[in-house]
Amino acid sequence: MGDIIKLGLFLMMVAAVAGLGVGYVNIKAAPLIEKQILEEKIRSFKEVYPEGDKVENETAKYLTAPDKILKEVNIAYKNGTPAGVLYLAETKGYAGPVTILAGFDQASGKITAVKVLNQTETPGLGAKAKDPAFQNRYKGKDSAVALEVSKTPPTKENQIQAITASTITSKAVTKGVNAAREHFVATFGATKQVKTGTVQ
Amino acid sequence: MSLMQEFTKGIIKENPLFRLVLGTCPALAVTTSVENGLGMGAAFTGVLLASNIAISLMRSIIPASVRIPAYVVIIASFVTMTDQLMHAFTPSLYKALGIFIPLIVVNCIILGRAEAFASRNSVLPSIMDALGMGLGFTIALGLVSAFREVLGAGSFLGIQILPESIPAILMILPPGGFITLGCLLALLNKLQKKYAW
Repeated sequence: MGDIIKLGLFLMMVAAVAGLGVGYVNIKAAPLIEKQILEEKIRSFKEVYPEGDKVENETAKYLTAPDKILKEVNIAYKNGTPAGVLYLAETKGYAGPVTILAGFDQASGKITAVKVLNQTETPGLGAKAKDPAFQNRYKGKDSAVALEVSKTPPTKENQIQAITASTITSKAVTKGVNAAREHFVATFGATKQVKTGTVQ
Repeated sequence: MSLMQEFTKGIIKENPLFRLVLGTCPALAVTTSVENGLGMGAAFTGVLLASNIAISLMRSIIPASVRIPAYVVIIASFVTMTDQLMHAFTPSLYKALGIFIPLIVVNCIILGRAEAFASRNSVLPSIMDALGMGLGFTIALGLVSAFREVLGAGSFLGIQILPESIPAILMILPPGGFITLGCLLALLNKLQKKYAW
């Protein structure tokens, strides 16, 4: 009996010291981690909608009910007026969730850029979704029509060529972009109407 | 054994991956690119070094009957710290290695070295053992991932060296890991017989 208490106390002591150590590192690292995540987010915003000078998270205003795909709606302001919409969307890829950021320009109704933020896809295959070569395929697409994934070089304006041997990942990204696109058209479509005269 | 021998034994003679065949799970999972392989090796070496030092220092006060739970707590704490520090200072590597950083906890090489070496030797030999084993594991991961990245993605350290059409995608998928590791193990066994290490 005495032995058990002795051993238990010993383990408790080890755990307590270990806990103190982990806690100390956490206190030091947590602010850095937070800063890291925030900086990454600001950097991504800039990449996806370079013209904005201020980005506000207005998810509560535009996403009244929780959405399966759309996680955040951020509005980019230029000189105090809303100019672009940045959607954070999450879909299921081949190996796990794929998080993307899709930017739309309110004046032209076009996709400004798409960026894959987080993914756990196969390196060398689906992970290529984070390469600019793939992400650029979304640039400048019109928000009015649904995007499709094609395995061959695109023949139509609304087609996105899939990453070789990674159709599931390509479809996951496109699904996220399409969800954002639908929300954008439904919510901000009115602004776009002004310019429809110039759209083919 | 001299300190130098404690260090060098982990590199070839008792290489944790190729000779002891320990830690094969991370070795198969993260070796899809050289960058990931070397990053994993570095994170692993850090944890092994810290845990070997701590366990060697505490070897006379840890009661034999609860040594394994004590080791596990110590190793898990160091892994958690490494995880946090990597997230704070090397975010891109942290992202790439993902779940495999916390899984260093269950890397059997670390527990194996704690039980087989650090708990029976003083601090200095334990440090040499950890550095040698860490370097050996890192070299092994680097070797496996070099074959897989070059053959599977046609690149080395992210730089494209083969035309896009040549690589065999199989090599960066799980079967490629088994094939590469198997071939390397066979080759090293053959060499070992020939030169009788």
